[in-house]
Amino acid sequence: MFVPHSELDLKKMFDELSINSLDDLFTHIPDALLLENGLDLPESLSELESIDYFDDIAARNKSDLVCFAGGGHYDVYLPQTVKSLTMRPEFMTSYTPYQAEISQGILQVLFEFQSLVCDLTDMELANASLYDGATSIAEAISVAINKTKRDGVTISSGLNPNSKEVINTLIDKNKFNLNYVELDNYLFPSDYDFDESQAAFVVSYPHYEGSCQDLTELVTKAKDKGIVTICYVDPSMLGVLTTPGQMGFDIIVAEGQSLGSPLSFGGPTVGWFATKKEFARLVPGRLIGESRDKDNNKSYVMTLRAREQDIRREKASSNICTNQTLNAIGSAIHLSWLGPEGLYDMGYHSIQKANYMKKSLIKNGYVIPNDDSSLREFLLEVKTNSSEVINKMGDKGFLAGIYYDDQHVLVAVTEKRKKTEIDDYIEALQEIDNG
Amino acid sequence: MVSGGNASSLPLVGGKPEPTIKELSSPGRRASNFPKLDVPEVKINHESLKKEKARLPEVSEHDLVMHYSRLAHRNFAVDLGFYPLGSCTMKYNPRFADSIASDSRFANIHPSMPEEFTQGCLKVMYEIGNYLCEITGMDYASFQPPAGASGELTGLLIIKKYLEINNLINKTEIIVPDSAHGTNPASARMAGFTVVEVETDARGMVNIEKLKEIVNENTAGLMLTNPNTGGLFEEEILTISQIIHNAGGLLYYDGANLNAIVGTSRPGDMGFDIVHSNLHKTFATPHGGGGPGSGPVAVKEFLKDYLPGPIAENKDRKYNWYQPENSIGRMHGYHGNFLVTLRALVYMKLLGKEGLDTLGAYAVLNARYLSSKVSKIIPLAYDEPCMHEFVTSVKDLKKSHKIKAYDVGKALLDKGFHSPTIYFPLIVPEALMFEPTETQSKETLDDLADSLKSIISDLQQEDIVLEDYPKNLPVGRPNELIPAKFLTVNWGDFELLEITE
Repeated sequence: MFVPHSELDLKKMFDELSINSLDDLFTHIPDALLLENGLDLPESLSELESIDYFDDIAARNKSDLVCFAGGGHYDVYLPQTVKSLTMRPEFMTSYTPYQAEISQGILQVLFEFQSLVCDLTDMELANASLYDGATSIAEAISVAINKTKRDGVTISSGLNPNSKEVINTLIDKNKFNLNYVELDNYLFPSDYDFDESQAAFVVSYPHYEGSCQDLTELVTKAKDKGIVTICYVDPSMLGVLTTPGQMGFDIIVAEGQSLGSPLSFGGPTVGWFATKKEFARLVPGRLIGESRDKDNNKSYVMTLRAREQDIRREKASSNICTNQTLNAIGSAIHLSWLGPEGLYDMGYHSIQKANYMKKSLIKNGYVIPNDDSSLREFLLEVKTNSSEVINKMGDKGFLAGIYYDDQHVLVAVTEKRKKTEIDDYIEALQEIDNG
Repeated sequence: MVSGGNASSLPLVGGKPEPTIKELSSPGRRASNFPKLDVPEVKINHESLKKEKARLPEVSEHDLVMHYSRLAHRNFAVDLGFYPLGSCTMKYNPRFADSIASDSRFANIHPSMPEEFTQGCLKVMYEIGNYLCEITGMDYASFQPPAGASGELTGLLIIKKYLEINNLINKTEIIVPDSAHGTNPASARMAGFTVVEVETDARGMVNIEKLKEIVNENTAGLMLTNPNTGGLFEEEILTISQIIHNAGGLLYYDGANLNAIVGTSRPGDMGFDIVHSNLHKTFATPHGGGGPGSGPVAVKEFLKDYLPGPIAENKDRKYNWYQPENSIGRMHGYHGNFLVTLRALVYMKLLGKEGLDTLGAYAVLNARYLSSKVSKIIPLAYDEPCMHEFVTSVKDLKKSHKIKAYDVGKALLDKGFHSPTIYFPLIVPEALMFEPTETQSKETLDDLADSLKSIISDLQQEDIVLEDYPKNLPVGRPNELIPAKFLTVNWGDFELLEITE
């Protein structure tokens, strides 16, 4: 399938090569390695048959639930304009822009992406994407270790638990100490004393549990000890939140799904990475720079290539090659669609709606342990077991949130949720609790 | 007969530079719109809330659409023309797979949903695992790695964990051919191994004698792609496998060149213990301008407990996640690049046994045919039958006419073709590496050869300036030194530079 050759074409090509069959192409491969009867796989399906086949699979997902889950991936409104533009075949079916002259489109969008990320977070230099939020944290920790040559990492426990698992995989625990610091009443302890043996301080903003705090003083204290400060930020809240740059962070990383990518069962989304220019030569991944051609035309080109694996090989700043360009393009277009007012509305509406939901829950006798410090996302204490609650809420048409522990569900309210959906959610929850 | 080409939208969009979205911004404009707030608005006091709005462009929706569409017009793509980029497998990406991946019943699934709610997604991951294992000759697969380099790192971390658990911690060396992809040594270093290079022999294959000299009790494994980066099948692969295994090392297959052998031969049968594959190459998912990809790793039975999880399994007609016992841990925040994985399954279903059995053969046929044509214009680096790609060298033209591989690539752009991969593998001077893939027609291959012939002749003319190529594109060669020296990586950086200069 998708092979264009007719019998006539094949004859001409075989003649050129003086062969009689496709098998003649492989006479140099040892017989023992040739598959005799081909692969043991089902026959092909036509496109029409495939529609039914995948329709059956898709129907097995409970895809119609009203989503109150977050944890880094948010059910925000993704406008059709962003989807259509991102899926333009020139963006979708091109390769890495190694040949700048015929890749100015991708190069300029990525340059705009880098610049938009910098403007949004108040940083100076962003790369052209990493895999996702979790792997971006690990890459940032590697930068800090390379910069400081120290072997300890101070990590807030208020990180997405999967991100912690990825950090534990990617940072060699035989060489580096990962010190997880417990939150105190859902906030990073403001009196925490940093230790000079530490390479990095990693903290989520807001915390995984949804609580948010001004981190300026902690950042200052860490930097006084020569520690590289890394902020894992929820970018779709930056229309309303103080930026990591304003708080003084050295590096920001983010899960960029909520800006430009559908939920996608977690991938492909995009990891953001931005920092100060002093870190430029330690940055992982691709960077696009603005330049001029010989006629002084504005042109864009991949730059600081000497950091990358295809040139530097084992001395590269990271092994990353294929990244998440198309999702970065989605982020750039979505941010441009939103503008300052749209991003503000997105954040402000979600905070108002989450607040309405928290107050309604409390009024109905539920406990929100981090009501005061949380914004769009919060912990809901349930009266039975939280997995059970999530399953039963599923039967009533809701994705109630994410299992946090047996007593708590992590609930997120995006700007997309309607008042009626929130009211119905609480009613359904009460029905479950009342048996 | 002609095959089309010379893709350019220049007559439509003009040659003027496209302003940035920031330059198009005008205060008070917006494209976005949201429903009115439907909950009672209250004053919310929180120390993290700011007063000012974010610094973002303000544009109308039409301006936004025109801007990004004009930028799309300034980009070459598989959908526009021939992309003979060696090592990248730029084959046709079926539209149909995109339509399945855009189905909201897949695209709008939250990754933290319990497995009872996501049986469809789990079925996808389970099924493609079976396909991939059969195609590669392996036993178990994990779809955690989001790209090939992540798959390599996964494989190396599996080797490391296997050695640790079997008390073989003296084994710290990973052998990599001098022709290998840069990601191989970079990944090996990230996993904490020492990299040892093995030379390529005059035929373009691993030098067996040198390999024997290098292998010792500290050998942890060998990373290899077969066919190798010269496009040649490593005919002594069974001997290589024996040498590594006799030393107690493991054999890692870099799946970058898997397209060449699908349906013909399998890494598992060659003796490889771990395989990663690039679904965005072999299984036709779109490259997206550099990503997303998907780099699943498959292993032989004895390594299954080390795979990154969670992995989908099928028990009692229900799909579950399981965590392998000695797993190296997660390689991705959730389930890898699921929608890419889904597209690859769609492709495999469309091809089925018939299509997959002949996939590699047609890829090799096209490469062999093109190499036959091209070798009459510029010499091949190796006088061996190529697989799915081949390497040529213009080192003689560089000597006689100062024509570099770089110049040939740039001149081809004017003819409506993407450049082949240049300067890779590193061991071939002035290398040009062609990979046509199986989806290009004979006429397109002929066109490329004809164009190559005409530009090689053009470039040898006395009055031409090599640096002028390409001539017919929106921009000429960008000055690569400016951004590297002055870090003009953010809008405003360049203008600032002009003021200070």
